[in-house]
Amino acid sequence: MDIMTKLDILADAAKYDVSCSSSGVGRNNSGGTGNCRSFGICHAWSSDGRCISLLKILLSNDCIYDCQYCVNRRSNDIPRASFFPRELAELTIQFYRRNYIEGLFLSAAVEKSPDYTMEKIIRVLTLLREEYEFQGYIHVKVIPGADPLLIYRAGLLADRMSVNIEQPTEGSLRLLAPQKSLSVIYLSMKELTDKIQEHKADRRHFRHTPRFVPGGQSTQMIVGASQDSDLAILHTAQALYEKFRLKRVYFSAYVPVNKDSNLPAVNTAPPLLREHRLYQSDWLLRFYHFKAEEIVDSTHANLETEIDPKTAWALRHPEFFPLEVNRASYEELLRVPGIGTKSAWRIVSQRRVAAISVEQLKKMGVVFKRAQYFVTCKGVYAGNKPYDPAIIRKVMVPEAPLQQMSLF
Amino acid sequence: MDYLYDGSFDGLLTCIYHHYYGAAASSIYQQDYYQPGLMVNTKVVETDPALAKRVYIAIEEKISGDALEKTYHVYLSSDSNKENLILNYLRLGFKMGAKVDHYHSHPDVYSLHKLNRRVGIETHRLLGLLRFKDTGRFLYAAMSPDHHILTLIADHFADRLAGERWIIHDQKRKLAIVYVGQDDSKMKPIQDKWYLTDFAYLMEDDIADKDQHWQQLWQLYFQKIGIESRLNPRLQSQFVPQRYRRHLLEFQYTSGTRKVP
Ligand code: SF4
Repeated sequence: MDIMTKLDILADAAKYDVSCSSSGVGRNNSGGTGNCRSFGICHAWSSDGRCISLLKILLSNDCIYDCQYCVNRRSNDIPRASFFPRELAELTIQFYRRNYIEGLFLSAAVEKSPDYTMEKIIRVLTLLREEYEFQGYIHVKVIPGADPLLIYRAGLLADRMSVNIEQPTEGSLRLLAPQKSLSVIYLSMKELTDKIQEHKADRRHFRHTPRFVPGGQSTQMIVGASQDSDLAILHTAQALYEKFRLKRVYFSAYVPVNKDSNLPAVNTAPPLLREHRLYQSDWLLRFYHFKAEEIVDSTHANLETEIDPKTAWALRHPEFFPLEVNRASYEELLRVPGIGTKSAWRIVSQRRVAAISVEQLKKMGVVFKRAQYFVTCKGVYAGNKPYDPAIIRKVMVPEAPLQQMSLF
Repeated sequence: MDYLYDGSFDGLLTCIYHHYYGAAASSIYQQDYYQPGLMVNTKVVETDPALAKRVYIAIEEKISGDALEKTYHVYLSSDSNKENLILNYLRLGFKMGAKVDHYHSHPDVYSLHKLNRRVGIETHRLLGLLRFKDTGRFLYAAMSPDHHILTLIADHFADRLAGERWIIHDQKRKLAIVYVGQDDSKMKPIQDKWYLTDFAYLMEDDIADKDQHWQQLWQLYFQKIGIESRLNPRLQSQFVPQRYRRHLLEFQYTSGTRKVP
């Protein structure tokens, strides 16, 4: 099989994976090809508007498992292909030196066994790092259940690793992916977390301790294949950040590819709006000091679709507003819809030299259209409507129901 | 009085010097593009590297290194009013010192920050959107950016592609960065890693045959990685504006991408 045909099959099979970022690792070239930039670089944007940064590809789609939500499951009758490690290493290098990509995101179906697959992944990484002296970014998917020693060896060569959790609860994972279990997934995650911590601590004392997964660990959850609520999803995400210190939890709106009584029908549109709201909530967890319980709770187990989670929170907490921008703390400013981390920082920095007026606030990167209802400047309420959650909700929710796609 | 200068950064800084030690400048313009008005006095400022250096150091010491960098980046922009934005910003900066950048909403600070951000965005964008082709002897990339960001992206590629030889060509300004690489022993990099030069030659036909193979693979990959049920061309054009696509391989479907059923 020629490389064109393999690329055709194996890029297609990898496209549903969402994570593609290359940020978080800074490394200069020390005699070879490539480097890493901590700010992350996008190289192209595909027809669905997603950034292409890494060569996102499967080593093989010849899977022994039968996860119901996956195109590559064993029971599907589709063309199968596998790269030779050297083919894939060469492809990566040739793409990289032409600046098509920032690095490699290597994933794989479970070919023969988890250990066999992991060993083959290590072979690709070894070729790239040692023979081609490649110093660009590499993200590797861990095959849950593979020998910890193999996972460890891959971690010495990769920048980031991820063990995909796929579903937020054991129940739905059992139902949809009978050969997988959360306990095995958590075990592999914990392995990584512990080793990352260990190496970090050692590197403080011994300069020659090798780097181990310097870009940290991430995971991915499929949204909309099972019945789980946003509450379940965000709780799991929060626990993953806290327990395993994950760098990112990615959400992937389920694109129906298989027919099955446990799954949404094949012509169902992927829940993109829900995915978008989950990312907004995830942002609140990571950068805005929110807790999952503040965003959703047992009475509101699912995120509102017509309004973003931060505004939804603000409207449920009228006692918190309006805030005086010249006095509120940085953390309090972060709670205001329309004020982001950067504009909050600008406000704090500028008011040190002079008090801020409404006119100035508009020039500081604040989305004034939203923020006006929640703040006062020098004691003056900024909004053009009285401060009343019911009225504000009316002005903030667009009249026509949101077209899913137009949001983006 | 309107100051006219030769378009160089040193020339611009020399103007700033004379603004303080001679007749104050009301505006600064590039001599070549200047449209003389009837009532305005003009002064042609001769570039003086020694004076420019004094201003350079003064910005760094009396305002901040950050302000100096912002000034330089705005100078590299293609905005026709950039000299006056810089003049106003520096005037305020010499009064306030490093604090000047806290006044985000002051009109003289705001406009300069905004333009600086635009240059920064394009620089960052091109780090990703540049495409090299293999000529067999060296790698070649063409671009036509809005702002003169060529020198701002050079160090990045000199590090990343340290073992290669390459040329990055700004076709709009007919300039190029040439990187000649390290010597064969790989031990010591050559002193000046890259240099800027006039370059009007169009390289498009010099591409090696074997490059076609990798180009086709990339086009195929690009086509495969999009998810049809999430198609969103509007979002795609937001990220990759039309004007950049001329140089982007993945938007040229001429070289026969294979469509596989
Ligand atoms: S193990 Fe991975 S590739 Fe295999 S069926 Fe499950 S999700 Fe698909």
